[in-house]
Amino acid sequence: MASPFSGALQLTDLDDFIAPSQDCIKPMKVDRRPGSGVAKIHIEDDGSYFQVSQDGGMKKLEKAKISLDDCLACSGCVTSAETVLITQQSHEELRKVLGANKTAAPDQQKLVVISVSPQSRASLAVRFQLNPTDTARKLTAFFKKIGAHYVFDTAFSRNFSLLESQWEFVRRFRGQADPEQALPVLTSACPGWICYAEKTHGSTLLPHISTARSPQQVMGSLVKDFFAQQQHLTPDKVYHATVMPCYDKKLEASRPDFFSQEHQTRDVDCVITTGEVFKLLEEEGVSLSELEPAPLDSLCSSASAQEPTSHQGGGSGGYLEHVFRHAAQELFGIHVTEVTYRPLRNKDLQEVILEREGQVLLHFAAAYGFRNIQNLVQKLKRGRCPYHYVEVMACPAGCLNGGGQLKAPDMPGKELLQQVERLYGLVRTEAPEDAPGSRSCMALAAGCRLGAGWPPAAHQLPRCGEGWLWTQYQVVEASRVQPVHCHQHQDS
Amino acid sequence: MKDSLVLLSRILAHPDSRCWFLAWNPAGTLLASCGGDRSVRIWGREGDSWICKSVLCEGHQRTVRKVAWSPCGNYLASASFDATTCIWKKNEDDFECVTTLEGHENEVKSVAWAPSGNLLATCSRDKSVWVWEVDEEDEYECVSVLNSHTQDVKHVVWHPSQELLASASYDDTVKLYREEEDDWVCCATLEGHESTVWSLAFDPSGQRLASCSDDRTVRIWRQYLPGNEQGVACSGSEASWKCVCTLSGFHSRTIYDVAWCQLTGTLATACGDDAIRVFEEDPGSDPQQPTFSMTAHVPQAHSQDVNCVAWNPKERGLLASCSDDGELAFWKYQPSEGI
Repeated sequence: MASPFSGALQLTDLDDFIAPSQDCIKPMKVDRRPGSGVAKIHIEDDGSYFQVSQDGGMKKLEKAKISLDDCLACSGCVTSAETVLITQQSHEELRKVLGANKTAAPDQQKLVVISVSPQSRASLAVRFQLNPTDTARKLTAFFKKIGAHYVFDTAFSRNFSLLESQWEFVRRFRGQADPEQALPVLTSACPGWICYAEKTHGSTLLPHISTARSPQQVMGSLVKDFFAQQQHLTPDKVYHATVMPCYDKKLEASRPDFFSQEHQTRDVDCVITTGEVFKLLEEEGVSLSELEPAPLDSLCSSASAQEPTSHQGGGSGGYLEHVFRHAAQELFGIHVTEVTYRPLRNKDLQEVILEREGQVLLHFAAAYGFRNIQNLVQKLKRGRCPYHYVEVMACPAGCLNGGGQLKAPDMPGKELLQQVERLYGLVRTEAPEDAPGSRSCMALAAGCRLGAGWPPAAHQLPRCGEGWLWTQYQVVEASRVQPVHCHQHQDS
Repeated sequence: MKDSLVLLSRILAHPDSRCWFLAWNPAGTLLASCGGDRSVRIWGREGDSWICKSVLCEGHQRTVRKVAWSPCGNYLASASFDATTCIWKKNEDDFECVTTLEGHENEVKSVAWAPSGNLLATCSRDKSVWVWEVDEEDEYECVSVLNSHTQDVKHVVWHPSQELLASASYDDTVKLYREEEDDWVCCATLEGHESTVWSLAFDPSGQRLASCSDDRTVRIWRQYLPGNEQGVACSGSEASWKCVCTLSGFHSRTIYDVAWCQLTGTLATACGDDAIRVFEEDPGSDPQQPTFSMTAHVPQAHSQDVNCVAWNPKERGLLASCSDDGELAFWKYQPSEGI
């Protein structure tokens, strides 16, 4: 019952997901005009509503609309109908687009790109008992079979998200950033966490939240901007779907910041969960293991690896690990060979310390799950947070345990998670600075003045607004709309 | 039978407001009351009368729904509709708010301290039960957020000697929780009540749990451990709880509170029909099918709903009650001889 959406979304027995909230957050503008008095509502035969004022004048009332953005932002809404939440973004939607593409006139056709997250791939690998490389190749084959043109791995865009996070932290630590941005820096790749932060503790937390875009959203920019250009297409002619381990990524993709007004298109058009990919496979009557593997696609032609790569530092992207290593080197000239994680009060809370001659130089932490987020926020509010950087994830055990991952009815959740972690960890890791293709991609796509140096110096990076590495957040005010089906006494 | 519960005194504890709950300190010398006037009052005995020794009025912005003393008696927790729980530290007659627990999304309905004194539980209309841990520096951290109930959670209470937590809800169930590895889990769900379960009380041994409900019954549940002699089925190594007695037909309205005297095993109930009732287990009653008889009934104990009844932990037969009419009353219960 604990997860944001009803239904079987929990992978393990862990019960620490951020639960549905009580209040609808849809900011409603109520136009109050003085002296309007009491009006009656009249329903026409066609179902439209008219307001009849005291002088007999009729005014058609607009239907209250709750868009997917509003709806998902709430994580628990007025109607609680899952169908309302998910219809716009689902595997059915993807099917529709693929179907329409088949029969469309050439100038109406879209280039379909699918970006798969390494966590979703690991979940599928366990289910079909395949190694990560075969899973990646067979998934590529499957998506192309149903009409996609390119299939990418978000581990590639994750390189940029990690690089940006590294640079951002060093800037902030040195006090070179916007004075509004304070330490500790809190990661922002998890949309479940971000929505909660914006809605519940907005003003306290926003100054701390990393402005680096998540791998999904960096991929969105890369596909719709850089890749589209390479293909000589405008962004609206590219349909970009991603495969993610949770439902909250659908919300992230719907954020207004990731919508291009100029081209009237989203960076990510559709997010489907691992579970929805499984449904697609079932609907096609295909078993992933039976497919002939296809060669892997890559965003930058210089990178022609036929094996996926990944990053160190756990199944949620490795933010803590990368930022820690980079900061140790950049700020203190210390090369860290192995990052040692010290578990605190529970296994979803860990800390990492950099010490020299008894002095603590860097104090980082990873906080997963609602209770740890609660404690972190309370510490922050009281000015008692000892950390410089915290990797925050809404799901206990992180992204590998996301609400959209596959379940195994015959295996206890803990065991399944261990298997997914193992398969995730089998993929060869690479430092973002060393990733082939990131260099040329950066140079071509970012529009930043790189010159000969790599990685780019802090001042060479695109600032917020220049698009594709950064984003921003806002405080969300709850409207305190009471659920329509509330019967109980409010006051006892 | 009516005479066995005698009124000692009546006080208008929370004027123009409801008095929601009462809690005796572990020594039995002080009584904390809380109400719709957003305050907590501490009452102490002076000779034969009870006087107000302190008023804690700066802690909350809305109704204070429950109060609970720590096992050591030095701290008082207050749960409020303003979504916070205040922790007050006692210094002679003064109480200072040392910390405020935040996190619940809306009205906090109950707070309870574990027998060890290191853990606290709160529950809320947001359907969750939170377990908090307090360290040597009086710092509180959330240890677990439990989302097992499907509706408003009305009450939480700890087992008298074990770290076992019970909660009562508008979803008609009682749930039990215990620690497992680094988290808390729901280890049992007690179904049977046909409406909101308002309150809970463990018997002195902790082997039985009483629950009271909007369905006008009190149910007694008994714990059966795996391998029990009675052959009650258990799931794996988990204890199971069975309803062994239902007290029905005694109450004409919702039962808002039930209290189980830790000295004598006597049960008292607070009812929406303005009455207080007392029940005793019949001598020689079968532990697997206990029977209880009503030994006292005061029909107009208060002029409105009785919200709470509380037995003094040290003085036999001393019972306190409070009501929507803002009043607090003290009673003396004398079990009649020869039952």
